Amino acid sequence: MKKHLRKYIVIILVFSLFISCLEETPRYLEFEDYSFQGIDDKGGTWKSIILVAPDQFIVPAPQETSSSSYQQELTNLKQEMASVSNEQKKAVVYWSSNPILRWNEIALELAAKYNLIPGPNLDGTYTLPNPASPEGPPPFPFAHPPYTSRMLAYLSVAQLDGLIAAWHYKFEYNRPAPYQVDSSIEPAYPKNTLPSYPSDGAVVAMVSKEILSAMFPLEKAYLEALSQEHLNSLVHAGINVQSDIEAGKTIGTEMAKLALQRASTDGMSKAQTPKAVSDSIKNAAFENFGWVWENMENPVRPVGLTPLFGKVKMWNVPTVEEVRPGPPPAPGSPEFLKDVEELKNYAKNLTLEQRRIANWWQDGLNTYTPPGHWNKFAKEAIIKNQLNPIRSARVFAYMNMAIMDAGISCWDAKYYYHYPRPIQTIPGFKTILGTPNFPAYTSGHSTFSAAGATVLSYFFPADAAQFTKWAREAADSRLYGGIHYRFDADVGIEQGKNVAKYTVEKAKNDGAQ
Amino acid sequence: MKKLYWLMSLSVIYLWIMPNSAEAQLPFDEIMMNKGEVCAALLYEHGSWNQYWEGNNLRGNANIGTLTRQMVMPMVVVGISEKLNIIASLPYVSTDPSGGTQVGQRGIQDLSLSLKVEWLQKRLGKGNLILLSNTNFNTPLGNYLSDYLPFSVGLGAPEIGMRGIAGYRMDNGLVFRTAFAYLWRGQTEIERNFYYQDGGVYSNFMNVPNAVNFHAAVGYWTLDNQLRLEGTFMSLNCVSGDDIRAYNAPQPTNKMNISQVGFWGQYYIKGRKGLGAIAYCNYTVNGRNVGKASNLGVGLTYQFQAFAKK
Repeated sequence: MKKHLRKYIVIILVFSLFISCLEETPRYLEFEDYSFQGIDDKGGTWKSIILVAPDQFIVPAPQETSSSSYQQELTNLKQEMASVSNEQKKAVVYWSSNPILRWNEIALELAAKYNLIPGPNLDGTYTLPNPASPEGPPPFPFAHPPYTSRMLAYLSVAQLDGLIAAWHYKFEYNRPAPYQVDSSIEPAYPKNTLPSYPSDGAVVAMVSKEILSAMFPLEKAYLEALSQEHLNSLVHAGINVQSDIEAGKTIGTEMAKLALQRASTDGMSKAQTPKAVSDSIKNAAFENFGWVWENMENPVRPVGLTPLFGKVKMWNVPTVEEVRPGPPPAPGSPEFLKDVEELKNYAKNLTLEQRRIANWWQDGLNTYTPPGHWNKFAKEAIIKNQLNPIRSARVFAYMNMAIMDAGISCWDAKYYYHYPRPIQTIPGFKTILGTPNFPAYTSGHSTFSAAGATVLSYFFPADAAQFTKWAREAADSRLYGGIHYRFDADVGIEQGKNVAKYTVEKAKNDGAQ
Repeated sequence: MKKLYWLMSLSVIYLWIMPNSAEAQLPFDEIMMNKGEVCAALLYEHGSWNQYWEGNNLRGNANIGTLTRQMVMPMVVVGISEKLNIIASLPYVSTDPSGGTQVGQRGIQDLSLSLKVEWLQKRLGKGNLILLSNTNFNTPLGNYLSDYLPFSVGLGAPEIGMRGIAGYRMDNGLVFRTAFAYLWRGQTEIERNFYYQDGGVYSNFMNVPNAVNFHAAVGYWTLDNQLRLEGTFMSLNCVSGDDIRAYNAPQPTNKMNISQVGFWGQYYIKGRKGLGAIAYCNYTVNGRNVGKASNLGVGLTYQFQAFAKK
């Protein structure tokens, strides 16, 4: 019996060892709440992107902190804080004092969720997602890299502009935070002297919910629940009274409308063309250059991904033509053949490190795409540098404008040059990555990444070398994966840097320095 | 004795989950080696499918075409005593899709060590009732990429399994057997640090779901116990996991279920010792997030007395 007991103990020990070896698989980034590096009392004077003036939305003056109505709000706040449930406590920790980061994470999660390419129907045809009937099948949207870059740009720009308006009123009215008025209130986050009317958290909750609901119409209920949880957490954390929140909600709602108005006329609705338009684009390329990209899937997709994304309205570049790179080497030319040899060599002798890089940057279907990957870097840099919400929004807004502009420029080149992929030009070539449904030149990963790295290097110069290295790695990853030639990647890097310069120039002059 | 406990805990089974994995192996049958006996085997298996279950929906995919999976597996069974056998195996797997533009893979898969113990052998009616257990441990060897389904050579996760086996061997040669196992799976390391599994996950590890494995066989020994024939049924069901998303690639987190029927034949050329031959086939009758595979296997075995009985 004793023998058996020992055996069981050993077995249990081994199993618990087995289980304790498991790595965590977190659903969001956990980080310690930090004190903001400054509260940016001039934030209301920063240049906005879409918003014409910071007082464009009327926010009435708040009640004095001495007023009976404010005192009643304080009492309510204290009552709510005293009876907070465990779940509500968790929500306070989750949303944190910088909820910009959470809404960005939510956006990335939805991008990954909706980044599924529609499969063929049984008869070999394809049905495209339709915003007029989002349920599908296939569901709307297909959150491919251009779609996701644009979604993130509108989200971040609207967040920044909304916070500029909020900061304007915060420092116009200067109503202190509840814990500054009543020292018996212990807030959940580090204290600061940022005026709390209107609530910046409420601006972010409303603007994010509205933008993301427009971009992911099937997620309305999910987003509504999230925004409600976020709004409630502001009270439970002891940082806003209800009138702070109501004023913030007004700004958030109005700001979202303004941003979505721009989105409705930016040309995205025409980006996925009918076959006739797609064919005429293809024919034009053939006449200009003598080559043409073909989809190599089975059954063949009749139209590439968003042939007219290159015509979508750019944020900071006057015309897409001025950032269009020169033509790629012709198939069969010595330069082309040299780069083909390189690809064949990788396919044959891929090292483990090269495989790792190809996979780490894959960012393909069912992921948050390369723009999402750069948003993750931005999030980490923001936490490392302890930025406050408006400065965080500024980083995301400028980076995502540059990334979307880079995508527009890249797609312009892709369909202007209509260059075939390696699987088309190299007979029998097989790859470890799936080849996307759009032309090769220039590489989207390279262009997106160089743009992201350029903007992040401007905001976080201490980490510039790391961002540049990552962008280069992202570009190279496509060669290791066998889906791009070196010239796609190298020119894409230059193109991304070039496009991002316009955005950095704008950032230098927005008054936030 | 302590060493033995560690060995026991470090033992395992074969990685069942792979859609095309060899179905009929020694870890779950009722046969034991005598003390000092060793059986060395070399198996070759050829499997293929041209349809797979995306969740519960059986579909084809012209960008995969027919996926062929071949496996060569050396295996050794050692009779430590008449009641205690050790089994080790190490497959080499290659995959090759006929359609699409993605490349197949090849490489050493998972080392499997298992310990088989006979707990009871009892005369019952016109036969013998045998109760056994098989404790298994396996771990990926080599550096294959698990996050490349359906082309990867394995799931890339360690596994511990506990299996109970009950067999009834009648004097007239008929054999009835059933086995039930619970498989604890660990995690597989992938080469990216964000993936989607019912939501975003920020990790470079994927949880491979635990599974239950059921096996049943009706067999017949004939030609003076030189030929063994069996009809088999096997099912493996993950206890958790997500479904393959629409027209998306599978991933190791998927809830993979599979049911197979098969046939198994083993011929000992000159009785128990010496050369033997194995042939088997199995056919997938139902599944979830796996290929509808048909597999054919052949093998040679060589059994000999490696060390003294006493």
